Amino acid sequence: MPTISLQRDDLEALIAGPDAAPSRIPLDQLEQWLMLVKGELKGHNAETGELRIELQDSNRPDLWCCEGIARQIRIKQRGSSIAYPFFKKQKRVAGKLVVAPGLDQVRPYVAACTAIGYRVTASGLAQLIQTQEKLADIFGRKRRTVSIGLYRLAPIVFPVSYDLVKSDDVRFTPLGMETVMTLREILMVHPKGVEYGGIVSGHDRLPILRDAKGQVLSFPPIINSREIGEVQVGDNELFVEVTGTDVHMVALTLNIFAANLADRGAMIAPVEIQSPVKTAFGKRWHTPIDFGAPRTIPLKAIETALGEALGSKEVTTALKSYGYTVKSAGPKVAVQLPPYRNDLLHTVDVVEDVAISQGYARFAPVMPSQFTVGGLSRLEQMADRVRHLMVGMEFQEIISNIMGSHQDFCTRMRLDGTEWAKVVEVDNVMSLSYSCLRQWITPSLLQVETNSSRAFYPHRMFEVGEVAVPDVGADVGSRTITMLGAVIAHAGAHFSEIHSCLDLLLYYLDRSFTLEPVPHPSFLEGRAGRIMLDGRAIGLLGELHPEVLEQWQIGVPAVALELEIDRLLDEV
Amino acid sequence: MDNLHPLESKVLLALAPQPSSPSTLDQLADSTGLESSQLSMAVEWLLAKSLIAVHAETVAYIASLTPIGEVFFEKYAPIERVLSAAREAGQTGKRLTIQDIQAKEALEPSDVSKAVGTLKKEGAILIVQGGCIESTGRNSPTAEAMRALLQELRSGQRELQTFAEPLRAVLQQHAVKRGNAREPFRVDERVTRSFLLTPSGQEVADQLSRDGVAEEVSQLTPDLLKEGAWRTKRFRKYTISLRAPRIAAGKRHPYREFLDLVKLKLVSMGFQEMRGTLVETEFWNMDALFMPQFHPARDIHDVYFVKNPTHARDIAEPYLTNVTQVHEKGAGAGSTGWGYHFDAERAKRLVLRSQGTAVSARRLATSPSVPGKYFSIARCFRYDQVDATHATDFFQVEGIVLGADINFRTLLGLLNLFAREVAQAKEVKFLPAYFPFTEPSVEMHVRHPKLGWMELGGAGLFRPEVTTPLGVSVPVIAWGLGLDRMAMVALGIHDIRDLFSADLEFIRTMRGSF
Repeated sequence: MPTISLQRDDLEALIAGPDAAPSRIPLDQLEQWLMLVKGELKGHNAETGELRIELQDSNRPDLWCCEGIARQIRIKQRGSSIAYPFFKKQKRVAGKLVVAPGLDQVRPYVAACTAIGYRVTASGLAQLIQTQEKLADIFGRKRRTVSIGLYRLAPIVFPVSYDLVKSDDVRFTPLGMETVMTLREILMVHPKGVEYGGIVSGHDRLPILRDAKGQVLSFPPIINSREIGEVQVGDNELFVEVTGTDVHMVALTLNIFAANLADRGAMIAPVEIQSPVKTAFGKRWHTPIDFGAPRTIPLKAIETALGEALGSKEVTTALKSYGYTVKSAGPKVAVQLPPYRNDLLHTVDVVEDVAISQGYARFAPVMPSQFTVGGLSRLEQMADRVRHLMVGMEFQEIISNIMGSHQDFCTRMRLDGTEWAKVVEVDNVMSLSYSCLRQWITPSLLQVETNSSRAFYPHRMFEVGEVAVPDVGADVGSRTITMLGAVIAHAGAHFSEIHSCLDLLLYYLDRSFTLEPVPHPSFLEGRAGRIMLDGRAIGLLGELHPEVLEQWQIGVPAVALELEIDRLLDEV
Repeated sequence: MDNLHPLESKVLLALAPQPSSPSTLDQLADSTGLESSQLSMAVEWLLAKSLIAVHAETVAYIASLTPIGEVFFEKYAPIERVLSAAREAGQTGKRLTIQDIQAKEALEPSDVSKAVGTLKKEGAILIVQGGCIESTGRNSPTAEAMRALLQELRSGQRELQTFAEPLRAVLQQHAVKRGNAREPFRVDERVTRSFLLTPSGQEVADQLSRDGVAEEVSQLTPDLLKEGAWRTKRFRKYTISLRAPRIAAGKRHPYREFLDLVKLKLVSMGFQEMRGTLVETEFWNMDALFMPQFHPARDIHDVYFVKNPTHARDIAEPYLTNVTQVHEKGAGAGSTGWGYHFDAERAKRLVLRSQGTAVSARRLATSPSVPGKYFSIARCFRYDQVDATHATDFFQVEGIVLGADINFRTLLGLLNLFAREVAQAKEVKFLPAYFPFTEPSVEMHVRHPKLGWMELGGAGLFRPEVTTPLGVSVPVIAWGLGLDRMAMVALGIHDIRDLFSADLEFIRTMRGSF
């Protein structure tokens, strides 16, 4: 999950809160505090004061910023949650935002508020922009479900409208450009238009945010207007809006921004959203909005899951000092998350927060006491027997990657166009060298031979590993087979050498096999055999074709053996 | 004396009778009856031991035939062929030009013109009008010398000095020189050294002739054993401080040895092995683990998708229905669910298994034992650029523990056990962590003797949204161990790709300390 950059001074000031002087927190102590947010200190630049922190929890976007981290720590230090008055429904609103019909088909939801009284500093602005980017990118899935706009409030005249327009009907100067452009031009030319245009493609009318005077605020989720939508250091009146496809995610994102700006000293005023269609919040609602609901949990459930009889008092304290609103009622607790969180799916989520708030060190480890029998699968046991026998026959074991190229698995083996060339291929190939799964082991071993002409001979090597063979009858379109592959390479390598190995191997495994000649392109004609066990083919062996050796640039003769270990388990 | 090789003894004894007259290698070959390679070996050893010394070095010139000379011997030298062609033409009255000779005899132009030049100088032929060649009937001393030399050297090389002057001159004239390799003869310098015993060599030789050498043997043979003859033999002592010749062993791969050890530890702690398939459905790889279909880690840039077939035919019921409901509404598991529309088609999408937990999910759905402990060492695939810390596919060691007594504290207890048994760590730290399918989640850090504090693994209690739809009603621990770093330290390597090295010499010499 995200790694964010922040200023140590900024973090310390936010932890101290508006009414107290910040104090220096030693880094090792900070690392302890970061356990509260599942954060890991990844780097510290003593010169610039920059800290890099990785946040793990993908369900806690409120923590992906300096303000959120500081808030969680501050709440723990003061022992109780912070009340944000603007989450309570207020009569006075800063203005209205009117949603036009039809947006429910394109990008239905919007939430907004104003923030006055915080004069934007350089590090504060960097944080605002970083939070905007991380939330839209990761939580908002690259702006698809959520995107955020920040504006200077002064030029905006309410009511703001969230509208749909034809792509040629509106023009404005987008951020990062010098000239006026239509929405169509932005989509075609502007870097953000190119990057995010796919989100609104397929719609003949596109979302636009404008104020009462018709000034464009932004073309969500693509780009802000340059005039209104460029917040600068020194601004102290802001307008924040969030648009998206999920009403709760949109509301949550705005709540996070509102809390962050409030933590920096801004007064938050709500905006009334007017929607033409009914939503989870009705047709008219104010944002920010506290849409959480209390949840009643048996104390016992928490205690059982943690294995510790904490008692109602400790649970209550733990949750309060983690930001929850808690009411204890006998054997139950009623808990509610703060409005900037929406990650309570199950009681277990509360259980973890209790543990994190108290610190994992609070819980003494107990060994699970119930008796269980350990053991290996039959296949693994057979594979191990085969490996030990191969080692006894003086083969060196090899471990190779299962992913590789068609070139290696098929073309170099002279298999193209034959039934042997069926492999599981990857759709989203990153590199041609890793585009399919091996269907047999021999190419992996030839790869070793190719790289090892300077290792003294003879070369005897084997691998017991998994391969994937396409099979329309299989559940997942292919079978995973545990296979033995062995190769002998030296100036005098010949069929009978590998044949003897197979013979001895299957003698010790007590399986009687026969060999049938097989015309396999990887091997010299007349020097390749199919290994038959009870009428079923279980493998191959033979002298590798000189053209195969040439393809691999191998300068000595080589013989190979390939045997399905799964088949050795078949009932005889 | 004890370390004398039988060959050395032979040479010493051959030199001993005439202490003051030096012997050459040829003479020694005669007197010892040794082959030249054995003899020169023995002489070098004795020189190194200062038992013999070089008395003198003389340079001799040795004449021999070249491959061209062999051909000349078979088909006669060009000078002879030119002369006989001229004589034949004289008898038949035919006109003969140089070109005719070249064509008839298939000779190199340079050979022909050289022969003609020599013959003309010796008066054996005349060149008349029109460039025609006529025999004068006189002999050519060069042609005769050539024939004698070819015959003589055919039977073996000979010292140049032993040839009489006229022959020697012809030989030198027709010997290979720089810039002219097409000659029948070659003359090589040969340094002949002669050897004498040193005083200490004399002593050893005297002792040898007193004690005899016949009994010393180097190799005990079946015959010696059968006949009991070994009783009268002395066995030559070896210089055992020499480095042993290298051999290749049949052996397990060191990384596999490490994994075998992990396997053994887990089985000894009561874990049953589970196995899965390399190709999985998104359902078992992610949906069953309550990762919402919009989860960032399910992106095209995180998982490899299979090209053909793209989808599994179906997902077993009741799991598909149960998981759909739990994703959408949390139904049955006491959860709110993710509140989105679950796409059953997406669930069938085939991917390369990206996490070993997929194997655990399948195990949960197939009547696991309660209490039960399971593990797998599963090959997993991640959509990462391959580099020193990322392999295209890698082993994940992970598993589950089911039981009525499972809770957060027993989870920590189990991790303590892993730390002690698998990492031999005495100090353990537990940190809050996040995994999509567990709550609470823990990261375990241990103090490794070499690496200091390191993350050993992650674990947690499966969310009820995972276990309930799969028909499991007891708490379940899910755990995973990150052992690659430990393996790399144990094997002394710094690049994860070296765990899957394709260099035989590297694999043969790699060894682990664990």
